[in-house]
Amino acid sequence: MRVSCSWLKNYVSLDGITPEELAESLTLRSQEVEGVFPLAQGENLVIGEVLSVSPHEKADKLVVCEVDVKKKRLTIICGAPNVRQGQKVAVALPGATLAHGLRIEKTEIRGVVSEGMIASLTELGIDYKYHHEDGIHVLHHTAPAGEDAMAYLFFNDTVLDLDITPNRADLLSMIGVAHDVAAIFNRDVKIPKPKIVTAKMENPLTIETETKACKSYYGRVLDDVTIGESPRWMRSRLIAAGIRPINNVVDITNYVMLETGQPLHAFDYDKVGEERVLVREAKKGETFTTLDDEERKLEEGDILITNGKEPIALGGVMGGAETEVTEETTSILLESAAFDPRRIRRTSGRLGLKSESSLRFERGIDPAMTRYALDRAAALLAVYASTSIRDGIKYFDNHENKRSPIELSLEKLNRVLGSDFDTAHVQDVLQRLSFPFEEKDGIFVVDPPSRRQDINTYQDLIEEIGRLSDYNILPATLPTTVSRGGLTDYQRFKRRTRHILADLGFDETMTYALREKERVYDLAKDKEKEPVSLSKPLSRAHQTLVLTPLHGLFDVAAHNRARKTEAIHIYEIGKCYEEEGETEMLGILMCGSYRTHRWQKHAPTSFFTLKGIIESLADALRFSPLIFTSTTIGNYHPHQCAIIKAQGEEIGHIGKVHPEYADAHDLKDVHLAEIDLEKAYELGRERSAYTPVPKHPGMQRDIALLVDESINAEAIKRTARECAGEMLAAIHVFDLYEGDKLPKGKKSLAFRLRFEDAEKTLQADTTDKLVQEIVKALEEEHGAIQR
Amino acid sequence: MDVKKRIDELEEELEKELEKVKTQAELLNVKSRYLGKKAEISSFMKHMRDLPKEKRPAFGQAVNEGKERFASLIEKRQAFLKRRSIEKKLAKERVDVTLDAPDFRVGSRHIINQIVEEVEDLFIGMGYTIEEGPEIETDEMNFEKLNLPKDHPARDMQDSLYITEETLLRTHTSPVQVRTMLEYGGKKPVKMICPGKAYRRDDDDATHSHQFYQIEGLVVDESTTMADLKGTLLVLAKAMFGPERKIRLRPSYFPFTEPSAEVDVSCANCAGEGCNICKNTGYIEILGAGMVNDYVLAASGYDPEKYQGFAFGVGIERIAMLRYGIEDIRNFYTNDLRFLRQFKA
Repeated sequence: MRVSCSWLKNYVSLDGITPEELAESLTLRSQEVEGVFPLAQGENLVIGEVLSVSPHEKADKLVVCEVDVKKKRLTIICGAPNVRQGQKVAVALPGATLAHGLRIEKTEIRGVVSEGMIASLTELGIDYKYHHEDGIHVLHHTAPAGEDAMAYLFFNDTVLDLDITPNRADLLSMIGVAHDVAAIFNRDVKIPKPKIVTAKMENPLTIETETKACKSYYGRVLDDVTIGESPRWMRSRLIAAGIRPINNVVDITNYVMLETGQPLHAFDYDKVGEERVLVREAKKGETFTTLDDEERKLEEGDILITNGKEPIALGGVMGGAETEVTEETTSILLESAAFDPRRIRRTSGRLGLKSESSLRFERGIDPAMTRYALDRAAALLAVYASTSIRDGIKYFDNHENKRSPIELSLEKLNRVLGSDFDTAHVQDVLQRLSFPFEEKDGIFVVDPPSRRQDINTYQDLIEEIGRLSDYNILPATLPTTVSRGGLTDYQRFKRRTRHILADLGFDETMTYALREKERVYDLAKDKEKEPVSLSKPLSRAHQTLVLTPLHGLFDVAAHNRARKTEAIHIYEIGKCYEEEGETEMLGILMCGSYRTHRWQKHAPTSFFTLKGIIESLADALRFSPLIFTSTTIGNYHPHQCAIIKAQGEEIGHIGKVHPEYADAHDLKDVHLAEIDLEKAYELGRERSAYTPVPKHPGMQRDIALLVDESINAEAIKRTARECAGEMLAAIHVFDLYEGDKLPKGKKSLAFRLRFEDAEKTLQADTTDKLVQEIVKALEEEHGAIQR
Repeated sequence: MDVKKRIDELEEELEKELEKVKTQAELLNVKSRYLGKKAEISSFMKHMRDLPKEKRPAFGQAVNEGKERFASLIEKRQAFLKRRSIEKKLAKERVDVTLDAPDFRVGSRHIINQIVEEVEDLFIGMGYTIEEGPEIETDEMNFEKLNLPKDHPARDMQDSLYITEETLLRTHTSPVQVRTMLEYGGKKPVKMICPGKAYRRDDDDATHSHQFYQIEGLVVDESTTMADLKGTLLVLAKAMFGPERKIRLRPSYFPFTEPSAEVDVSCANCAGEGCNICKNTGYIEILGAGMVNDYVLAASGYDPEKYQGFAFGVGIERIAMLRYGIEDIRNFYTNDLRFLRQFKA
């Protein structure tokens, strides 16, 4: 809502208050003022009369005007095509500053001295959308030459741009804003009293409704309409409010709407054709042509204003093309009505017809204003469109005006706000608000006025008293509730995960959960998961919720690789969003060298680098040991991919991205892993009692085995463990050789075994015996030959 | 023969010879010549029996002292040679200390999560629990129980991403308030914050993001006041933006709180004087808050006659943008490593 300060003064005195002070006070006690700006810009601007227009000898598109500004005659060069002899115009004298910092000086243009400028409205800072004028602005022929043009145009005004919250429908009117200003500054509100002088002819209308969605409908008929311009003061106020002036009839309905918050509509009464108004609900499939000449498909629940036969308006949303007021209109039917806010919201939303009117109906209007607004508009039309008003107002009004009084105790008020207000303070605030009330023993019983339909509960009253007192006077205290705060074990587990990965050199990402639908399974392990999609997608790129954080990580890698970042090691705790619920997943991606010794030789990042990361993480978070089992998954390398299990339960997967898929995204050697964090947490071991540190030194033995290519290291380790029992403290592969020097289909695996005995110092022969047993078992079980 | 004099002469000779000694072998050679069995000094003892008895002790002592001095000189030389050989060896190990080291950089946690943790820790210190909830929410939890019935004008303020008629991506973290209160069964005080992602139908640009991160706070007890809200938010503002910061409450509207307020923090850039960052107001809007609406309490199983409380919601991106002067919200979701790595913690 844009509020003209000079207009606001009609209803409440602003003496001694600057627009900036007003804005500040409204922001702190009413609604946020988003901007304070002048309606127009121009100093040193006078009204002039164009005495003559003659061509500029050296410029085709320019003319030389003699302009009379009363004190003297000026020669002004003008480029506007619409300048004519005899016009009254706004002349910017040398030294004037107009909108956008335009400064006017006496200048010579191609040999002729120009002593000022004839201004257009745009040059005065009035946006083109409010006037649609391409040339200079031509004033009325009665404009007094020599006088201040800005004052004549009512342009010396400051506008406040208020951001009105949805609850404050009352502030969508100048009178409503005046009431709040009055409450803040403790002043009175003056509301103009319309003077209705009626003709003899009676208002012939019958007005009825078939639907409860129309709460009230007041109608007047006016004759002898003279369509023309509305007065200058009204036009400037409309512009200040952000509405383009059209003609007196339209402008007056808009003006009264802005003043009262009650939308009005004027029909060409002759075209209505009947002496009847019948409000009904639209039938499904019914169509109606609105005044923008669009044929609208209606649905049940839309409200139609009809003449008893044909629809003439889409109630509360837009009038009909058939009954639109035009230059030829002589009689009008003026409507002031109230509709069910939800119906208006639904209809205007569905048809994309949001207007100043529909906005006010949606938020809810003051039922007490409906009749007032009609009379106010009729009275203005009588003056500014020389109408005669037919006798009588016709209407129905089904508003239930009973609103319950609201009870609020001083004790409750102070208990909620944490304030220390006394009875006198609350009385003062309620009086400023002009809320009728009674007070007894600290209990206030308040009758909310009709203009404040939003005030219904004691909390509404607390808010009114709180805001007008200024929340900033409240003390700053802390809750007295004694409680134990903290993270849950799982939350701590998640934090640890993120910190460990960061310490391992991984950067954390945060990616969009909504992605392309067609890529949702690309990096997901389970193709049977049911993804979740938006019913109305934001865009193709943001349509479906991801099944794995790997989706985002992969795209982040592509983004960074394209920007020449070499080492990309990233992770994210995201979610797998499925119809049946959301699971928190850890995704890790490695691409490029990891912890590189830049100028010395190093092993490239491989499947095993990432495997090592996962194992370190599992160890630190106590969900190790992990078992990796070969598998194949869609876009992963068919021979470098594994399921990860902990305690026999699958908790994730790891693998190299298929080179073709990586290549399609300009990536190479990408390794991914995903861990179901919730499962990993559940499988995590409790911190158990400590194991004593071995007192006796252990022994180490290396064995090299020749085995079939197909035998995996894990199988050999398992056999060795089963065979040696607890004595085998650790077993690791320390060498792998596959080459020409070996028999075809064979590989050589070398293991380092570490033996420990908690009871005694291990003897060399005991250890050797154990090794022999292990080798024997491996031979039997896997056909392994010791080398 | 004056033995003492001879020993002194020999010592001088030894010193000169040792200076020329370069290797361990040479040293051994010198050592055997001056201290070995055939060494001159060793032969002196033979002369002792020729001396009168009373002179023998002095003679013996002089010879022994001489030997000790020789040995000491040789040892010194030996130590010198050893040190020099180590130095030579180390000299060969000289490195260019300006060469690049291996890359052992510690990674960065996402700036949003860093701020979330900071806020969590702040509130944990004040006795709050951390609650979480689903991102796919029901219309009931996201709107209806928060006093936003269908057709409510305020639903315009947060155009939503629906999945079905009744489910949507939550438009705020507020449904977690309801879930937590329902879980507590209306029986005990609530003191929680809830960090999480939320979604709105916005086209992504410098200041809008369809996905964003919020922290919701809720305290419900018998005597929780708006002054408590103000004090709590002041603690938050100071923790986020510096101990000098002040806050300002402006009336606002949220269906789930009443009274509702928007909260501004005094501009850190100009200390409230007015600058282009705060649009010359001296204040910057950071969050929305208010006293929990009775409707929400009742819908969540809390008796509004007995309980009252406050709630607030703050956007994490906004905090980060203000704190670090980040001008484009898309930075948080593009995840350019050159951006992310600037925020170490």
